[in-house]
Amino acid sequence: MSDTPSEAPVKSILPEWVRGPQDFVGGLAMMAVALFALWASSDLQGMHGFSFGAGTAPRMFAVLLLLLGGAVALMGVLKDGPQIAAYSWRGPLFVSAAIVFFAVAIRPFGLVVSAFAAFLIAALGSHETRWLEAIIVGGCLTLGCALLFPYVLGLPMPMFPRFLMQ
Amino acid sequence: MELFANLAHGFVVAFSPINLLMCLIGALVGTLVGVLPGIGTIATVAMLLPITFGLPPVGALIMLAGIYYGAQYGGSTTSILVNIPGEATSVVTALDGHQMAKQGRAGPALAIAAIGSFFAGCVATVLIAVLGAPLTKLALAFGPAEYFSLMVLGLIFAVVLAKGSVLKAIAMIVFGLLLSMVGSDIETGASRMAFNIPELADGLGFATVAMGVFGFAEIIRNLDHGAEMDRNLVQQKITGLMPTRKDLVDSAPAILRGTVLGSILGILPGGGAVIASFAAYTLEKKLAKDPKRFGRGAIEGVAAPESANNAAAQTSFIPLLTLGIPPNAVMALMVGAMTIHGIVPGPQVMQKQPDLVWGMIASMWIGNLMLIIINLPLVGIWVRLLRVPYRLMFPSIVVFCAIGIYSVNNAPVDVVLAGAFGLVGYWLIKHDFEPAPLLLGMVLGPLMEENLRRALLISRGDWSVFLSRPLSAVLLAIAAGLLVLAVLPALRAKRDEVFVESEG
Repeated sequence: MSDTPSEAPVKSILPEWVRGPQDFVGGLAMMAVALFALWASSDLQGMHGFSFGAGTAPRMFAVLLLLLGGAVALMGVLKDGPQIAAYSWRGPLFVSAAIVFFAVAIRPFGLVVSAFAAFLIAALGSHETRWLEAIIVGGCLTLGCALLFPYVLGLPMPMFPRFLMQ
Repeated sequence: MELFANLAHGFVVAFSPINLLMCLIGALVGTLVGVLPGIGTIATVAMLLPITFGLPPVGALIMLAGIYYGAQYGGSTTSILVNIPGEATSVVTALDGHQMAKQGRAGPALAIAAIGSFFAGCVATVLIAVLGAPLTKLALAFGPAEYFSLMVLGLIFAVVLAKGSVLKAIAMIVFGLLLSMVGSDIETGASRMAFNIPELADGLGFATVAMGVFGFAEIIRNLDHGAEMDRNLVQQKITGLMPTRKDLVDSAPAILRGTVLGSILGILPGGGAVIASFAAYTLEKKLAKDPKRFGRGAIEGVAAPESANNAAAQTSFIPLLTLGIPPNAVMALMVGAMTIHGIVPGPQVMQKQPDLVWGMIASMWIGNLMLIIINLPLVGIWVRLLRVPYRLMFPSIVVFCAIGIYSVNNAPVDVVLAGAFGLVGYWLIKHDFEPAPLLLGMVLGPLMEENLRRALLISRGDWSVFLSRPLSAVLLAIAAGLLVLAVLPALRAKRDEVFVESEG
């Protein structure tokens, strides 16, 4: 299936010799990941004798990724390729916000409050959300999860805000 | 016969009430995600991975397996009735299936899809049972060098059979390998790339990354298109499920060919069910006396891919159960499920956990039987589900996933990490990097490192051991050959041709 973003692709800010910006930037990013991994594993022990140290395999894979990233970026220079696809901000922002909110709220506020609020935050991610409908479905989902996880599956977790329980 | 004794034992395990229930739940959930477009199998298995934590391992794996092959059934329903593939494996089914539906033959199309799937499922179940034991014996003769080479071959196969750029797919595998390095070193216990974050000391959770890269990223990507996907339901009532005699005669050879092709492609690492359905459709079109009928409601165009994807979904369990090597992303998640329960995948599983292996094999046959009942008479219920709008579905999935990840370790950091990997996954999709090889790399990473280390330790640091041991050399030679072939322009064109139908 092809990706067809709704917005027009952004104008390339890259120099003209970059013929496939999507691959070029993708390759560079992979190289950045590899360099970061090389730095992060630099304090680990390397080969001693013929046995591997803790750092050998991570550095090996990091160098491999560096080379592959370089090759992908090179393809972006040598071959015509697609532009970088347009990103939308609304979906990623609110979905991430909902996830982070849930992570922060689950301990102090419990499942009921954090799940319901996270549902509403996530719902902001689409401009087609109808609020009455979202509140009803969010409520049902919260109730369902509050029964499913601790009781049916036996996974204990805080249910209600801590200050109410004490 | 040992085989029958094993199968009998498997059926005893699978028929226990709890396992029957798990099988039914798996089949139902599988059908559900198969029917609903916008939720993939990988994402669902990832989502449900945390939930299986509290279940007994046999039941957990039976359920997860049911989701995978159940989705192959469900996917065809949406393809035929709505012309939107519910599942990537049903993309080609939409071509002829929806045409049949428009001609008022939705019933026969659905029936043939289900019958084909059922037949393929039965054949694949037998195949797993027959091939399981000999392959396991072979695997037990493998030393660390052979194991390492086999994994290399598996990963290369995955790259060659997958869609898109070979180079980028390899980069994704290595990225996955690198991610698997985070955490404690197995041998020295040294903390690697964990930045003193206690939650990272045990490594990045597999469920966390999978849920981020597949679950969250998929949701964010779907929101790009706007939450409202247009769903042109075929409005007229589905009348007469039974296919005519001519339908059956026409589709029987197609079902057979689809089953054979799907079974073979399923065992090979790589695209699994997706490529199987594409390849089966292409084959039917090539063999047909009148290829023009395809795309205009040819029943073979429904029968072959639907049989192929179901066969492939099931035979892809063979490398997992016998060698402990996952051939595709869903199987990688199954490895994750096994490790959650403390089962180390590999050839020893078959001997140490006969309940698990044979119970799962037997449950597949039972599951297929359940699915044909779930899908045919109850098709009306599933169609109604298609009316649930995505704007309500996506926040529910987000919340459900978040609770699920939190429940694995009761760690809020895991939830945040999954969110971060969601953004990473979204970025990867935008740059046309396939996330599936990343998952394979991540699962195989620790295994590869361990075997590489052991092989080199035994050979006293001599790298030529991978070439001097004949079996290992053969495996690596095949891998190298495949890679060369895949990069050659002639074969690339052929490979792309198989996937072209999706744009048609």
